[in-house]
Amino acid sequence: MTRLFQRHTRIAVRRVQRKKSPFIYKSYSKKPKHRLLRKRKAQEQRFRRTGLAAIVLASLFLVSLIWNIVASGYSAFTQVQVRIPVTYEQGLIEKEAYRTIIQKSLTELFPNVENRSEKRALFGLISRNAPYILQKEVQNNPSLVGERHEVWLPVSSQISIFYKQELYRQGERGGSVSPTEAAWITALAQSKRMRLSFNAAFFTNGDSREAERAGILASTAGSLLTIIVCVLMAFPLGVATAIYLEEFAPKNWFTDFVEININNLAAVPSIIFGLLGLAVYLNMFGLPRSSSLVGGMVLALLILPVIVIATRNALQAVPRSIRFAAAALGATPTQVVFHHTLIYALPGIMTGVILSIARAFGETAPLLMIGMVAFVVDVPKIFTDPATTLPVQVYLWSNNPELGFVEKTAAAIMVLLAFMALINLLAIYIRQRFEIKW
Amino acid sequence: MTQATQKEKQETDQPVVRMKSQDLSVFYGDQQALFEVNLDIYTNQVTALIGPSGCGKSTFMRCLNRMNDYVEGCRVTGKVRLDGFNIYKNNVDTILLRQKVGMVFQKPNPFPKSIYENVAYGPRIHRLVKTPQDMDALVEKTLRRVGLWDEVADRLSSPGTSLSGGQQQRLCIARAIATRPEVVLMDEPCSALDPIATAKVEELIKELARKFTIVIVTHSMQQAQRVSDQTAFFHMGHIVESGPTTQIFTAPEDQRTRDYIGGKFG
Ligand SMILES: Nc1ncnc2c1ncn2[C@@H]1O[C@H](COP(=O)(O)OP(=O)(O)OP(=O)(O)O)[C@@H](O)[C@H]1O
Ligand SMILES: [Mg+2]
Repeated sequence: MTRLFQRHTRIAVRRVQRKKSPFIYKSYSKKPKHRLLRKRKAQEQRFRRTGLAAIVLASLFLVSLIWNIVASGYSAFTQVQVRIPVTYEQGLIEKEAYRTIIQKSLTELFPNVENRSEKRALFGLISRNAPYILQKEVQNNPSLVGERHEVWLPVSSQISIFYKQELYRQGERGGSVSPTEAAWITALAQSKRMRLSFNAAFFTNGDSREAERAGILASTAGSLLTIIVCVLMAFPLGVATAIYLEEFAPKNWFTDFVEININNLAAVPSIIFGLLGLAVYLNMFGLPRSSSLVGGMVLALLILPVIVIATRNALQAVPRSIRFAAAALGATPTQVVFHHTLIYALPGIMTGVILSIARAFGETAPLLMIGMVAFVVDVPKIFTDPATTLPVQVYLWSNNPELGFVEKTAAAIMVLLAFMALINLLAIYIRQRFEIKW
Repeated sequence: MTQATQKEKQETDQPVVRMKSQDLSVFYGDQQALFEVNLDIYTNQVTALIGPSGCGKSTFMRCLNRMNDYVEGCRVTGKVRLDGFNIYKNNVDTILLRQKVGMVFQKPNPFPKSIYENVAYGPRIHRLVKTPQDMDALVEKTLRRVGLWDEVADRLSSPGTSLSGGQQQRLCIARAIATRPEVVLMDEPCSALDPIATAKVEELIKELARKFTIVIVTHSMQQAQRVSDQTAFFHMGHIVESGPTTQIFTAPEDQRTRDYIGGKFG
């Protein structure tokens, strides 16, 4: 009877305990098992927080960098213009004295200015580029001759900086504008003769000594030509090298030696490649200095090891069983590579190549060595034309003491970063879209 | 083997030896995986290789079409003869050999190309068909033979890797037989298949055996009995016993064979 009772209660107790799941952990629990769990959880928490902190810190750096560049550069995408009444006098146009035309209309606007130095300051309001703009207009539309129109013309660099400072409250740069000039600007602005417009010239001009005329077209074109040469040379060479080393070469001391050297080359400072290019391409082969041809060839040397390594990694990622499958069907080793391994590795190879192109795109130092620091006004058309690249242009402008180039530098950096972002997006897209998951 | 002896054998109703391994030893580095294996593989017969895991069945099979050439550190001594010719002679072209001796691997390894292309690849590189229509017909016929056609007919252009494991295995079989090999090596072709697909593949094996020579590795004693004419029992790199399947399963001579068949180890 007692035994029966005992058994009965035991069952009852077990039932009650069943309701409590053994998988529930409370942070205050004192069970030894839970203590250990608490330790492990704390460890995990620490690790997560450290990771999060690292990411936050890194993003802060990035954001402040970008903020800095954008804040000092965005104004370069706008241009300050002033509206003046222009009389296209036939006599003056025949003499090509467009400067005089502008001076006349300015005098018309401010008739009280008589002092010679004041007059010079007044004429200095307008960009030195303005006469050429008028000239172009007349050439495009000869019927303008003899007529009178209100025309928007860009102001000079100093005035532009001053106006933008007032407008954007950018302060601190301290433009050198006299009180008289400031008064003129204010008067012009009050009579709605000042405006900000999109600075298309920044994208359609080459370099210039005058900040308001300087643009990035020549250097962007130079960059493109350079990258084309670079890819045409580095891509086939690098991929072919990688395929041979990975798929065909016998494993011996020589291939090991080659492999070590390739890995070392990837870590060589880029300026060394510039010196190499100077010695070999320019001095030995006598290729044209500061041309995109030589620039591209130097950059090709620079990214060649990177492409080889990326391609080998992509080839290694293709499982050996796929090679076996093709070989067992009677494919020749070359067919195995070109029908299978290479095809399946291609997305990985392309990602690697694109990322190394991004690296070549941003490279500056080796190009300085081969004279691509040239002052290039005209857009280079063929590979042997003197050219410069976007990052070198940034370098050149950042060294320019003239105030107007500060915003140009930052703006060029923004364009450079935009290109970089585009290239990286392309790489990500290719990886997402085409990569084969094994 | 000369023409005359072949005829003689056929007349006496003896099975014809298609492949023959003679004192075949295989080393992976210092480790020996096969010890002087001698085995005859007969034309139009299914030879089953059985034995516990790691005993060298796949290794032996890879010797038959020289896929061991691709395994690093693998060394083969002895001879393997196909129609009397040693395939390990230096001047043997493995491309020609592998067109004759097809292989289905233990793990399904379809190409990440389309299902169609998986089957069409072998015939294409060997120029077995002339027109695209013939190729379509060949692909359909081959997929039907492995019982895959109804499942994939409407998605021939999706990648072979998108199929289920069992479907992939059948696709690999289709890929191997599409090149019309004369000897087909199958390493556990049914390991990932359901009973229905297994039955289909077994039927296919028997049908193929009418024209070709089949070597199959299997862990299923029932399957070995169902499909094979000859059985070889491997144990730790040695062939313990080989002979007609009925004999091996009804009257094994060696104690180890008896234990393995009886499910005592392995
Ligand atoms: N690539 C290799 N490198 C080194 N050793 C290997 C290699 N492949 C197989 N071996 C060894 O050779 C022996 C036989 O292997 P094998 O793959 O032939 O076995 P198996 O009979 O096919 O086994 P399972 O039934 O599990 O597939 C094993 O001991 C294995 O460790
Ligand atoms: Mg095996």
